[in-house]
Amino acid sequence: MKKPTKSLAKDIGFYIFIIIVCIIFALPFYWMIITSFKIELDIFHYPPVYWPMRLTDYNYRVGLIDLWGLKAIQDSFIIASSNTLLVLAIALLAAYALALLPVKGKGALLNWILSQRMLPPIAAAIPFFVLWNTVGWLDTYQALILTYTIFNLPLAIWLLTSYIEELPKEIHESALVDGAGHLSTLRHVIMPLIGPSIAVTALFTFIFSWNEFLFALLLTRSKVRPFTVIIPSLIGGHVILWGAIAAVTLVGLIPEIILIILLQRYLVRGLTLGAIKG
Amino acid sequence: MRRSLTPYFFLFPAIITILALTIVPLVYSLYLSFINYEMGRPHIEIRFVGLQNYITAITDMRFLIALLRTFLFVGVVVSCEFVLGLILALALNRNFRGRNLVITLLTIPFMVAPVAVGFIWWTILDANYGPMNHLVVDFLHLANDKISWTGDANVALFSIMLVDIWQYTPFMMLILLAGLRSIPAEPYEAALIDGASGFTLFRYITLPLLKPAILVALLIRIIDSFKIYDLVYLLTYGGPGTATEVASFYIYLRGFKHFRISYAAALSYILLMISAVAITLLINIIRRGTRR
Repeated sequence: MKKPTKSLAKDIGFYIFIIIVCIIFALPFYWMIITSFKIELDIFHYPPVYWPMRLTDYNYRVGLIDLWGLKAIQDSFIIASSNTLLVLAIALLAAYALALLPVKGKGALLNWILSQRMLPPIAAAIPFFVLWNTVGWLDTYQALILTYTIFNLPLAIWLLTSYIEELPKEIHESALVDGAGHLSTLRHVIMPLIGPSIAVTALFTFIFSWNEFLFALLLTRSKVRPFTVIIPSLIGGHVILWGAIAAVTLVGLIPEIILIILLQRYLVRGLTLGAIKG
Repeated sequence: MRRSLTPYFFLFPAIITILALTIVPLVYSLYLSFINYEMGRPHIEIRFVGLQNYITAITDMRFLIALLRTFLFVGVVVSCEFVLGLILALALNRNFRGRNLVITLLTIPFMVAPVAVGFIWWTILDANYGPMNHLVVDFLHLANDKISWTGDANVALFSIMLVDIWQYTPFMMLILLAGLRSIPAEPYEAALIDGASGFTLFRYITLPLLKPAILVALLIRIIDSFKIYDLVYLLTYGGPGTATEVASFYIYLRGFKHFRISYAAALSYILLMISAVAITLLINIIRRGTRR
Protein backbone atom coordinates (compact mmCIF):
# COMPACT_ATOMS: atom_id res chain seq x y z
CA MET A 1 0.00 0.00 0.00
CA LYS A 2 1.14 3.50 -0.83
CA LYS A 3 1.63 6.08 1.85
CA PRO A 4 -1.27 8.55 2.07
CA THR A 5 0.99 11.62 1.77
CA LYS A 6 2.44 10.37 -1.48
CA SER A 7 -1.00 9.74 -2.95
CA LEU A 8 -2.17 13.16 -1.76
CA ALA A 9 0.71 14.82 -3.60
CA LYS A 10 -0.16 12.72 -6.63
CA ASP A 11 -3.78 13.82 -6.40
CA ILE A 12 -2.84 17.47 -6.22
CA GLY A 13 -0.58 17.05 -9.24
CA PHE A 14 -3.41 15.34 -11.08
CA TYR A 15 -5.88 18.13 -10.34
CA ILE A 16 -3.37 20.77 -11.40
CA PHE A 17 -2.94 18.90 -14.68
CA ILE A 18 -6.73 18.74 -15.20
CA ILE A 19 -7.13 22.42 -14.42
CA ILE A 20 -4.43 23.37 -16.93
CA VAL A 21 -6.12 21.23 -19.57
CA CYS A 22 -9.47 22.85 -18.87
CA ILE A 23 -7.95 26.32 -19.08
CA ILE A 24 -6.38 25.55 -22.47
CA PHE A 25 -9.72 24.45 -23.89
CA ALA A 26 -11.97 26.97 -22.15
CA LEU A 27 -9.87 30.11 -22.50
CA PRO A 28 -10.55 30.73 -26.22
CA PHE A 29 -14.30 30.64 -25.48
CA TYR A 30 -13.84 32.97 -22.52
CA TRP A 31 -11.88 35.32 -24.81
CA MET A 32 -14.76 35.30 -27.31
CA ILE A 33 -17.31 36.04 -24.58
CA ILE A 34 -15.40 39.03 -23.18
CA THR A 35 -14.66 40.31 -26.70
CA SER A 36 -18.38 40.37 -27.45
CA PHE A 37 -19.04 42.59 -24.42
CA LYS A 38 -16.00 44.88 -24.74
CA ILE A 39 -16.10 48.46 -25.92
CA GLU A 40 -13.98 49.12 -29.01
CA LEU A 41 -11.26 50.86 -27.01
CA ASP A 42 -10.70 47.68 -25.00
CA ILE A 43 -10.89 45.39 -28.02
CA PHE A 44 -8.13 47.17 -29.89
CA HIS A 45 -5.82 47.54 -26.95
CA TYR A 46 -2.38 46.10 -26.31
CA PRO A 47 -1.69 44.39 -23.99
CA PRO A 48 -5.08 42.69 -24.38
CA VAL A 49 -7.73 43.39 -21.76
CA TYR A 50 -8.55 40.10 -20.01
CA TRP A 51 -10.94 41.44 -17.41
CA PRO A 52 -12.90 44.26 -19.08
CA MET A 53 -14.41 46.77 -16.64
CA ARG A 54 -16.51 48.64 -19.18
CA LEU A 55 -19.13 46.35 -20.66
CA THR A 56 -21.58 47.07 -23.47
CA ASP A 57 -24.36 45.38 -25.41
CA TYR A 58 -23.52 47.52 -28.43
CA ASN A 59 -21.81 44.60 -30.24
CA TYR A 60 -24.93 42.48 -29.94
CA ARG A 61 -27.14 45.21 -31.34
CA VAL A 62 -24.80 45.83 -34.27
CA GLY A 63 -24.07 42.16 -34.95
CA LEU A 64 -27.53 40.71 -34.59
CA ILE A 65 -29.62 43.54 -36.04
CA ASP A 66 -27.51 45.85 -38.24
CA LEU A 67 -25.33 43.12 -39.71
CA TRP A 68 -28.18 40.62 -40.03
CA GLY A 69 -26.80 38.15 -37.49
CA LEU A 70 -30.26 37.06 -36.32
CA LYS A 71 -31.42 36.54 -39.88
CA ALA A 72 -28.34 34.38 -40.48
CA ILE A 73 -29.01 32.26 -37.42
CA GLN A 74 -32.64 31.92 -38.49
CA ASP A 75 -31.47 30.77 -41.95
CA SER A 76 -29.12 28.23 -40.38
CA PHE A 77 -31.97 27.01 -38.21
CA ILE A 78 -34.39 26.61 -41.13
CA ILE A 79 -31.80 24.69 -43.15
CA ALA A 80 -30.49 22.49 -40.33
CA SER A 81 -33.90 21.54 -38.93
CA SER A 82 -35.51 20.83 -42.32
CA ASN A 83 -32.51 18.75 -43.30
CA THR A 84 -32.67 16.83 -40.02
CA LEU A 85 -36.36 15.97 -40.50
CA LEU A 86 -35.80 14.87 -44.09
CA VAL A 87 -32.76 12.77 -43.23
CA LEU A 88 -34.46 11.11 -40.24
CA ALA A 89 -37.55 10.18 -42.25
CA ILE A 90 -35.55 8.57 -45.06
CA ALA A 91 -33.01 6.98 -42.73
CA LEU A 92 -35.57 5.43 -40.36
CA LEU A 93 -37.30 3.65 -43.23
CA ALA A 94 -34.01 2.43 -44.66
CA ALA A 95 -32.61 1.39 -41.27
CA TYR A 96 -35.76 -0.57 -40.46
CA ALA A 97 -35.42 -2.55 -43.69
CA LEU A 98 -31.67 -3.08 -43.33
CA ALA A 99 -31.88 -4.18 -39.71
CA LEU A 100 -35.01 -6.34 -39.67
CA LEU A 101 -36.06 -7.37 -43.17
CA PRO A 102 -34.29 -9.74 -45.56
CA VAL A 103 -32.31 -7.52 -47.93
CA LYS A 104 -29.97 -8.98 -50.52
CA GLY A 105 -26.43 -7.58 -50.50
CA LYS A 106 -26.99 -5.80 -47.22
CA GLY A 107 -23.33 -5.70 -46.20
CA ALA A 108 -22.27 -4.23 -49.52
CA LEU A 109 -25.07 -1.68 -49.34
CA LEU A 110 -24.05 -0.54 -45.86
CA ASN A 111 -20.40 -0.25 -46.88
CA TRP A 112 -21.34 1.74 -49.94
CA ILE A 113 -23.52 4.04 -47.83
CA LEU A 114 -20.67 4.64 -45.42
CA SER A 115 -18.12 5.27 -48.15
CA GLN A 116 -20.23 8.26 -49.24
CA ARG A 117 -19.05 9.98 -46.12
CA MET A 118 -15.45 9.88 -47.22
CA LEU A 119 -16.12 11.87 -50.35
CA PRO A 120 -14.12 15.13 -50.18
CA PRO A 121 -16.80 17.85 -50.14
CA ILE A 122 -14.93 19.95 -52.70
CA ALA A 123 -15.31 17.12 -55.24
CA ALA A 124 -19.08 17.31 -54.92
CA ALA A 125 -19.07 21.11 -54.82
CA ILE A 126 -18.40 21.66 -58.52
CA PRO A 127 -21.21 19.53 -59.98
CA PHE A 128 -23.66 20.73 -57.34
CA PHE A 129 -22.83 24.35 -58.05
CA VAL A 130 -23.36 23.90 -61.78
CA LEU A 131 -26.50 21.79 -61.31
CA TRP A 132 -28.24 24.13 -58.86
CA ASN A 133 -27.20 27.04 -61.02
CA THR A 134 -28.84 25.41 -64.05
CA VAL A 135 -32.04 24.74 -62.12
CA GLY A 136 -32.00 28.28 -60.77
CA TRP A 137 -31.79 27.12 -57.16
CA LEU A 138 -28.68 29.01 -56.09
CA ASP A 139 -29.40 31.16 -53.04
CA THR A 140 -32.38 29.05 -51.92
CA TYR A 141 -33.04 27.02 -48.80
CA GLN A 142 -33.93 23.86 -50.71
CA ALA A 143 -30.55 23.67 -52.46
CA LEU A 144 -28.70 23.48 -49.15
CA ILE A 145 -31.29 21.24 -47.49
CA LEU A 146 -31.01 18.70 -50.32
CA THR A 147 -27.24 18.96 -50.68
CA TYR A 148 -26.63 18.30 -46.98
CA THR A 149 -28.72 15.15 -47.28
CA ILE A 150 -25.92 13.33 -49.10
CA PHE A 151 -23.51 14.02 -46.26
CA ASN A 152 -25.92 13.20 -43.45
CA LEU A 153 -27.93 10.31 -44.83
CA PRO A 154 -25.12 7.69 -44.83
CA LEU A 155 -24.19 8.23 -41.19
CA ALA A 156 -27.85 8.39 -40.13
CA ILE A 157 -28.72 5.10 -41.87
CA TRP A 158 -25.61 3.43 -40.49
CA LEU A 159 -26.25 4.56 -36.91
CA LEU A 160 -29.96 3.79 -36.85
CA THR A 161 -29.39 0.36 -38.41
CA SER A 162 -26.88 -0.51 -35.72
CA TYR A 163 -29.24 0.66 -32.96
CA ILE A 164 -32.26 -1.24 -34.33
CA GLU A 165 -30.17 -4.39 -34.77
CA GLU A 166 -29.46 -4.38 -31.05
CA LEU A 167 -33.13 -4.69 -30.12
CA PRO A 168 -34.24 -8.26 -29.33
CA LYS A 169 -35.60 -9.83 -32.54
CA GLU A 170 -38.69 -11.16 -30.67
CA ILE A 171 -40.10 -7.65 -30.27
CA HIS A 172 -40.29 -7.24 -34.01
CA GLU A 173 -41.60 -10.74 -34.63
CA SER A 174 -44.35 -10.54 -32.03
CA ALA A 175 -45.51 -7.17 -33.40
CA LEU A 176 -45.85 -8.70 -36.85
CA VAL A 177 -47.60 -11.80 -35.47
CA ASP A 178 -50.11 -9.48 -33.80
CA GLY A 179 -50.98 -8.32 -37.26
CA ALA A 180 -49.28 -4.93 -37.31
CA GLY A 181 -47.97 -3.75 -40.68
CA HIS A 182 -44.34 -2.83 -41.16
CA LEU A 183 -44.99 0.90 -41.11
CA SER A 184 -46.99 0.80 -37.90
CA THR A 185 -44.46 -1.56 -36.31
CA LEU A 186 -41.74 0.96 -37.11
CA ARG A 187 -43.82 3.86 -35.85
CA HIS A 188 -45.36 2.33 -32.71
CA VAL A 189 -42.94 -0.40 -31.64
CA ILE A 190 -39.41 0.32 -32.90
CA MET A 191 -39.25 4.12 -32.73
CA PRO A 192 -40.31 4.43 -29.06
CA LEU A 193 -37.64 1.87 -28.14
CA ILE A 194 -34.76 3.74 -29.79
CA GLY A 195 -35.72 7.25 -28.70
CA PRO A 196 -32.28 8.35 -27.43
CA SER A 197 -30.62 6.86 -30.51
CA ILE A 198 -32.91 8.88 -32.77
CA ALA A 199 -32.02 11.95 -30.72
CA VAL A 200 -28.27 11.33 -31.18
CA THR A 201 -28.70 10.76 -34.91
CA ALA A 202 -30.73 13.96 -35.14
CA LEU A 203 -28.02 15.79 -33.18
CA PHE A 204 -25.28 14.73 -35.60
CA THR A 205 -27.38 15.66 -38.61
CA PHE A 206 -28.39 19.00 -37.17
CA ILE A 207 -24.88 19.93 -36.09
CA PHE A 208 -23.34 18.93 -39.41
CA SER A 209 -25.80 21.17 -41.27
CA TRP A 210 -25.39 23.96 -38.74
CA ASN A 211 -21.58 23.88 -38.98
CA GLU A 212 -21.21 23.32 -42.71
CA PHE A 213 -19.32 26.06 -44.50
CA LEU A 214 -18.08 25.14 -48.00
CA PHE A 215 -21.49 24.49 -49.61
CA ALA A 216 -23.12 27.27 -47.64
CA LEU A 217 -20.52 29.62 -49.09
CA LEU A 218 -20.84 28.41 -52.67
CA LEU A 219 -24.59 27.92 -52.95
CA THR A 220 -25.82 31.13 -51.30
CA ARG A 221 -25.69 34.77 -52.34
CA SER A 222 -27.83 37.39 -50.62
CA LYS A 223 -31.29 36.00 -49.83
CA VAL A 224 -30.01 33.04 -47.81
CA ARG A 225 -27.04 33.70 -45.54
CA PRO A 226 -26.32 30.96 -42.96
CA PHE A 227 -24.31 32.01 -39.93
CA THR A 228 -21.15 30.22 -41.04
CA VAL A 229 -21.15 32.37 -44.18
CA ILE A 230 -21.65 35.75 -42.58
CA ILE A 231 -18.76 35.38 -40.12
CA PRO A 232 -16.02 35.32 -42.79
CA SER A 233 -17.89 37.88 -44.90
CA LEU A 234 -17.78 40.33 -41.99
CA ILE A 235 -14.05 39.71 -41.48
CA GLY A 236 -13.49 40.65 -45.10
CA GLY A 237 -14.73 44.21 -44.62
CA HIS A 238 -12.52 47.29 -44.28
CA VAL A 239 -13.49 48.03 -40.71
CA ILE A 240 -13.04 44.84 -38.75
CA LEU A 241 -15.86 44.47 -36.28
CA TRP A 242 -14.40 42.04 -33.76
CA GLY A 243 -17.03 42.72 -31.14
CA ALA A 244 -20.01 42.36 -33.47
CA ILE A 245 -18.64 39.21 -35.12
CA ALA A 246 -17.89 37.76 -31.68
CA ALA A 247 -21.51 38.43 -30.68
CA VAL A 248 -22.87 36.68 -33.78
CA THR A 249 -20.43 33.78 -33.31
CA LEU A 250 -21.51 33.27 -29.71
CA VAL A 251 -25.22 33.42 -30.46
CA GLY A 252 -24.58 30.91 -33.26
CA LEU A 253 -22.71 28.60 -30.90
CA ILE A 254 -25.28 28.58 -28.08
CA PRO A 255 -27.87 26.25 -29.69
CA GLU A 256 -25.28 23.61 -30.54
CA ILE A 257 -23.52 23.82 -27.19
CA ILE A 258 -26.84 23.19 -25.44
CA LEU A 259 -27.50 20.16 -27.67
CA ILE A 260 -23.98 18.82 -27.08
CA ILE A 261 -24.34 19.09 -23.31
CA LEU A 262 -27.74 17.39 -23.34
CA LEU A 263 -26.56 14.44 -25.43
CA GLN A 264 -22.93 14.24 -24.33
CA ARG A 265 -23.04 10.71 -22.93
CA TYR A 266 -24.49 9.25 -26.13
CA LEU A 267 -22.01 10.85 -28.49
CA VAL A 268 -19.15 8.39 -28.76
CA ARG A 269 -20.84 5.85 -30.98
CA GLY A 270 -21.92 8.51 -33.42
CA LEU A 271 -18.41 9.93 -33.54
CA THR A 272 -16.88 6.56 -34.37
CA LEU A 273 -19.52 5.61 -36.94
CA GLY A 274 -20.68 2.92 -34.55
CA ALA A 275 -17.30 1.20 -34.51
CA ILE A 276 -17.03 1.71 -30.77
CA LYS A 277 -20.09 1.27 -28.62
CA GLY A 278 -20.39 4.23 -26.29
CA MET B 1 -43.87 -11.99 -53.79
CA ARG B 2 -45.21 -9.11 -51.74
CA ARG B 3 -43.11 -10.12 -48.80
CA SER B 4 -39.81 -10.11 -50.66
CA LEU B 5 -40.43 -6.68 -52.20
CA THR B 6 -41.38 -4.91 -48.96
CA PRO B 7 -37.79 -4.18 -47.86
CA TYR B 8 -37.14 -2.34 -51.08
CA PHE B 9 -40.13 -0.04 -50.56
CA PHE B 10 -38.49 1.02 -47.31
CA LEU B 11 -35.11 1.42 -48.93
CA PHE B 12 -36.46 3.18 -52.01
CA PRO B 13 -36.31 6.79 -50.71
CA ALA B 14 -32.77 6.31 -49.43
CA ILE B 15 -31.52 4.70 -52.63
CA ILE B 16 -33.17 7.33 -54.83
CA THR B 17 -31.72 10.15 -52.74
CA ILE B 18 -28.24 8.69 -52.74
CA LEU B 19 -28.35 7.97 -56.46
CA ALA B 20 -29.73 11.38 -57.36
CA LEU B 21 -27.47 13.33 -55.05
CA THR B 22 -24.22 11.37 -55.41
CA ILE B 23 -24.07 9.35 -58.58
CA VAL B 24 -25.62 12.03 -60.79
CA PRO B 25 -23.28 14.82 -59.59
CA LEU B 26 -20.24 12.53 -59.83
CA VAL B 27 -21.06 11.43 -63.38
CA TYR B 28 -21.82 15.01 -64.33
CA SER B 29 -18.53 16.10 -62.80
CA LEU B 30 -16.70 13.44 -64.80
CA TYR B 31 -18.33 14.82 -67.95
CA LEU B 32 -17.34 18.36 -66.97
CA SER B 33 -13.74 17.26 -66.53
CA PHE B 34 -13.52 16.15 -70.16
CA ILE B 35 -14.80 19.41 -71.69
CA ASN B 36 -13.51 22.99 -71.61
CA TYR B 37 -16.30 24.70 -69.66
CA GLU B 38 -15.45 28.02 -68.02
CA MET B 39 -18.23 29.86 -66.28
CA GLY B 40 -18.85 33.43 -67.40
CA ARG B 41 -17.13 32.97 -70.76
CA PRO B 42 -20.06 32.09 -73.06
CA HIS B 43 -18.14 32.96 -76.23
CA ILE B 44 -15.91 29.91 -75.83
CA GLU B 45 -17.32 27.00 -77.78
CA ILE B 46 -17.79 23.98 -75.51
CA ARG B 47 -16.06 20.89 -76.85
CA PHE B 48 -14.48 17.66 -75.65
CA VAL B 49 -10.83 18.05 -74.83
CA GLY B 50 -10.14 14.44 -73.82
CA LEU B 51 -7.59 14.13 -71.04
CA GLN B 52 -6.26 17.66 -71.51
CA ASN B 53 -7.51 18.88 -68.10
CA TYR B 54 -5.94 15.89 -66.37
CA ILE B 55 -2.63 16.36 -68.15
CA THR B 56 -2.59 20.01 -67.14
CA ALA B 57 -3.43 18.97 -63.58
CA ILE B 58 -0.61 16.48 -63.08
CA THR B 59 1.92 18.98 -64.40
CA ASP B 60 0.46 21.84 -62.33
CA MET B 61 3.19 22.46 -59.75
CA ARG B 62 0.93 24.60 -57.59
CA PHE B 63 -1.55 21.72 -57.35
CA LEU B 64 1.14 19.13 -56.61
CA ILE B 65 2.64 21.29 -53.90
CA ALA B 66 -0.84 21.86 -52.43
CA LEU B 67 -1.30 18.08 -52.35
CA LEU B 68 2.03 17.54 -50.62
CA ARG B 69 1.16 20.30 -48.17
CA THR B 70 -2.12 18.53 -47.43
CA PHE B 71 -0.27 15.28 -46.70
CA LEU B 72 2.16 17.15 -44.46
CA PHE B 73 -0.76 18.78 -42.68
CA VAL B 74 -2.52 15.45 -42.13
CA GLY B 75 0.68 13.78 -40.93
CA VAL B 76 1.55 16.49 -38.43
CA VAL B 77 -1.88 17.19 -36.98
CA VAL B 78 -2.99 13.58 -36.73
CA SER B 79 0.21 12.48 -34.97
CA CYS B 80 0.13 15.39 -32.53
CA GLU B 81 -3.57 14.90 -31.84
CA PHE B 82 -3.00 11.19 -31.30
CA VAL B 83 -0.12 11.55 -28.83
CA LEU B 84 -1.80 14.36 -26.87
CA GLY B 85 -5.18 12.65 -27.02
CA LEU B 86 -3.71 9.41 -25.69
CA ILE B 87 -2.01 11.19 -22.79
CA LEU B 88 -5.27 12.96 -21.94
CA ALA B 89 -7.30 9.75 -22.22
CA LEU B 90 -4.91 7.87 -19.92
CA ALA B 91 -5.04 10.72 -17.41
CA LEU B 92 -8.82 10.96 -17.46
CA ASN B 93 -9.34 7.20 -17.24
CA ARG B 94 -10.08 7.24 -13.53
CA ASN B 95 -12.88 8.50 -11.37
CA PHE B 96 -12.56 11.97 -9.98
CA ARG B 97 -14.79 14.84 -9.04
CA GLY B 98 -16.02 16.90 -11.97
CA ARG B 99 -15.06 14.24 -14.51
CA ASN B 100 -18.26 14.63 -16.54
CA LEU B 101 -17.88 18.38 -16.53
CA VAL B 102 -14.32 18.13 -17.89
CA ILE B 103 -15.36 15.68 -20.60
CA THR B 104 -18.30 17.86 -21.64
CA LEU B 105 -16.00 20.88 -21.86
CA LEU B 106 -13.58 18.91 -24.03
CA THR B 107 -16.41 17.82 -26.35
CA ILE B 108 -17.29 21.36 -27.31
CA PRO B 109 -14.25 22.36 -29.46
CA PHE B 110 -14.66 19.62 -32.04
CA MET B 111 -18.45 19.68 -32.21
CA VAL B 112 -18.92 23.39 -32.86
CA ALA B 113 -18.56 25.12 -36.22
CA PRO B 114 -14.96 25.22 -37.52
CA VAL B 115 -15.75 28.69 -38.84
CA ALA B 116 -16.51 29.87 -35.30
CA VAL B 117 -13.34 28.23 -33.98
CA GLY B 118 -11.47 29.86 -36.86
CA PHE B 119 -12.74 33.32 -35.99
CA ILE B 120 -11.98 32.88 -32.28
CA TRP B 121 -8.39 31.91 -33.11
CA TRP B 122 -8.12 34.59 -35.76
CA THR B 123 -8.55 37.19 -33.00
CA ILE B 124 -6.28 35.29 -30.60
CA LEU B 125 -3.53 35.07 -33.23
CA ASP B 126 -3.94 38.68 -34.36
CA ALA B 127 -0.46 40.20 -34.57
CA ASN B 128 -1.35 43.55 -33.00
CA TYR B 129 -4.05 42.92 -30.41
CA GLY B 130 -4.12 39.14 -29.93
CA PRO B 131 -3.32 37.39 -26.64
CA MET B 132 -1.04 34.88 -28.42
CA ASN B 133 1.67 37.46 -28.99
CA HIS B 134 1.16 38.77 -25.48
CA LEU B 135 1.79 35.27 -24.16
CA VAL B 136 4.72 34.37 -26.42
CA VAL B 137 6.50 37.73 -26.59
CA ASP B 138 5.82 39.55 -23.32
CA PHE B 139 5.14 36.66 -21.00
CA LEU B 140 7.30 33.73 -22.07
CA HIS B 141 9.90 35.88 -23.92
CA LEU B 142 10.14 33.26 -26.67
CA ALA B 143 10.45 35.96 -29.33
CA ASN B 144 11.67 39.54 -29.38
CA ASP B 145 9.15 40.96 -31.79
CA LYS B 146 5.48 40.34 -32.31
CA ILE B 147 4.92 37.37 -34.59
CA SER B 148 2.59 37.64 -37.55
CA TRP B 149 0.92 34.29 -36.93
CA THR B 150 -1.20 34.21 -40.07
CA GLY B 151 0.76 36.68 -42.21
CA ASP B 152 4.26 35.21 -42.10
CA ALA B 153 4.81 32.53 -44.76
CA ASN B 154 7.05 30.55 -42.39
CA VAL B 155 4.54 30.51 -39.56
CA ALA B 156 1.08 30.50 -41.16
CA LEU B 157 0.78 26.77 -41.85
CA PHE B 158 2.01 26.06 -38.34
CA SER B 159 -0.72 28.35 -36.96
CA ILE B 160 -3.43 26.47 -38.84
CA MET B 161 -2.02 23.18 -37.55
CA LEU B 162 -2.04 24.56 -34.02
CA VAL B 163 -5.72 25.49 -34.22
CA ASP B 164 -6.60 22.12 -35.75
CA ILE B 165 -4.72 20.33 -32.97
CA TRP B 166 -6.50 22.43 -30.36
CA GLN B 167 -9.82 21.59 -31.93
CA TYR B 168 -9.42 17.84 -32.50
CA THR B 169 -7.13 16.56 -29.71
CA PRO B 170 -10.24 16.26 -27.50
CA PHE B 171 -11.87 14.15 -30.23
CA MET B 172 -8.99 11.65 -30.09
CA MET B 173 -9.16 11.75 -26.30
CA LEU B 174 -12.88 10.93 -26.26
CA ILE B 175 -12.59 7.96 -28.65
CA LEU B 176 -9.53 6.55 -26.87
CA LEU B 177 -11.17 7.05 -23.48
CA ALA B 178 -14.21 5.07 -24.64
CA GLY B 179 -11.77 2.36 -25.76
CA LEU B 180 -9.91 2.39 -22.44
CA ARG B 181 -13.12 2.07 -20.48
CA SER B 182 -14.15 -1.00 -22.42
CA ILE B 183 -10.95 -2.86 -21.43
CA PRO B 184 -11.81 -5.41 -18.72
CA ALA B 185 -9.94 -5.45 -15.41
CA GLU B 186 -8.90 -9.13 -15.47
CA PRO B 187 -5.77 -8.88 -17.65
CA TYR B 188 -4.41 -6.14 -15.38
CA GLU B 189 -5.11 -8.15 -12.24
CA ALA B 190 -3.37 -11.18 -13.71
CA ALA B 191 -0.37 -9.12 -14.79
CA LEU B 192 -0.11 -7.42 -11.40
CA ILE B 193 0.04 -10.81 -9.73
CA ASP B 194 2.85 -11.70 -12.12
CA GLY B 195 4.67 -8.59 -10.90
CA ALA B 196 4.29 -6.43 -14.00
CA SER B 197 4.06 -2.69 -13.50
CA GLY B 198 3.80 0.73 -15.08
CA PHE B 199 5.12 0.82 -18.59
CA THR B 200 5.03 -2.96 -19.03
CA LEU B 201 1.31 -2.96 -18.30
CA PHE B 202 0.77 -0.14 -20.78
CA ARG B 203 2.92 -1.71 -23.48
CA TYR B 204 1.67 -5.31 -23.25
CA ILE B 205 -1.93 -4.94 -22.06
CA THR B 206 -3.35 -1.46 -22.60
CA LEU B 207 -1.91 -0.84 -26.05
CA PRO B 208 -2.91 -4.14 -27.70
CA LEU B 209 -6.41 -4.01 -26.22
CA LEU B 210 -6.80 -0.38 -27.20
CA LYS B 211 -5.74 -1.08 -30.79
CA PRO B 212 -9.27 -1.13 -32.31
CA ALA B 213 -10.11 2.25 -30.79
CA ILE B 214 -6.74 3.67 -31.86
CA LEU B 215 -7.23 2.56 -35.45
CA VAL B 216 -10.77 3.91 -35.66
CA ALA B 217 -9.74 7.26 -34.17
CA LEU B 218 -6.77 7.56 -36.56
CA LEU B 219 -8.86 6.59 -39.60
CA ILE B 220 -11.56 9.15 -38.88
CA ARG B 221 -9.07 11.91 -38.23
CA ILE B 222 -7.04 11.11 -41.35
CA ILE B 223 -10.18 11.19 -43.51
CA ASP B 224 -11.47 14.39 -41.95
CA SER B 225 -8.22 16.32 -41.78
CA PHE B 226 -7.58 15.51 -45.44
CA LYS B 227 -10.65 17.63 -46.22
CA ILE B 228 -9.20 20.68 -44.43
CA TYR B 229 -10.72 23.82 -45.89
CA ASP B 230 -12.69 25.94 -43.41
CA LEU B 231 -9.77 26.90 -41.17
CA VAL B 232 -7.58 27.79 -44.15
CA TYR B 233 -10.30 29.95 -45.68
CA LEU B 234 -10.85 31.78 -42.43
CA LEU B 235 -7.35 32.16 -41.02
CA THR B 236 -5.17 32.77 -44.09
CA TYR B 237 -7.22 32.39 -47.30
CA GLY B 238 -4.39 30.20 -48.58
CA GLY B 239 -1.80 32.92 -48.05
CA PRO B 240 0.46 34.64 -47.57
CA GLY B 241 1.17 34.00 -51.25
CA THR B 242 0.44 30.30 -51.59
CA ALA B 243 2.02 29.30 -48.26
CA THR B 244 -1.07 27.62 -46.82
CA GLU B 245 -2.81 26.48 -49.98
CA VAL B 246 -4.10 22.96 -49.35
CA ALA B 247 -5.67 20.74 -52.03
CA SER B 248 -9.33 21.56 -51.31
CA PHE B 249 -8.58 25.24 -51.14
CA TYR B 250 -6.65 25.25 -54.42
CA ILE B 251 -9.56 23.51 -56.18
CA TYR B 252 -11.91 26.08 -54.68
CA LEU B 253 -9.78 28.92 -56.10
CA ARG B 254 -9.62 27.40 -59.59
CA GLY B 255 -13.32 26.54 -59.69
CA PHE B 256 -14.98 29.40 -57.89
CA LYS B 257 -12.59 32.33 -58.12
CA HIS B 258 -11.23 31.75 -61.61
CA PHE B 259 -14.39 29.88 -62.72
CA ARG B 260 -12.37 27.25 -64.55
CA ILE B 261 -15.10 24.73 -63.82
CA SER B 262 -13.82 21.93 -66.05
CA TYR B 263 -10.28 22.17 -64.77
CA ALA B 264 -11.51 22.21 -61.17
CA ALA B 265 -13.64 19.14 -61.91
CA ALA B 266 -10.55 17.30 -63.16
CA LEU B 267 -8.57 18.39 -60.09
CA SER B 268 -11.33 17.21 -57.77
CA TYR B 269 -11.48 13.86 -59.56
CA ILE B 270 -7.79 13.39 -58.91
CA LEU B 271 -8.34 14.29 -55.25
CA LEU B 272 -11.25 11.86 -55.14
CA MET B 273 -9.08 9.04 -56.54
CA ILE B 274 -6.29 9.73 -54.07
CA SER B 275 -8.65 9.70 -51.11
CA ALA B 276 -10.48 6.60 -52.38
CA VAL B 277 -7.20 4.67 -52.67
CA ALA B 278 -5.89 5.93 -49.34
CA ILE B 279 -9.15 5.18 -47.53
CA THR B 280 -9.46 1.67 -48.99
CA LEU B 281 -5.91 0.91 -47.84
CA LEU B 282 -6.57 2.33 -44.38
CA ILE B 283 -9.85 0.45 -43.97
CA ASN B 284 -8.13 -2.81 -44.89
CA ILE B 285 -5.43 -2.14 -42.33
CA ILE B 286 -8.11 -1.44 -39.74
CA ARG B 287 -10.16 -4.52 -40.61
CA ARG B 288 -7.05 -6.59 -40.03
CA GLY B 289 -6.22 -4.69 -36.84
CA THR B 290 -9.65 -4.92 -35.25
CA ARG B 291 -10.17 -8.60 -35.98
CA ARG B 292 -9.64 -10.30 -32.68
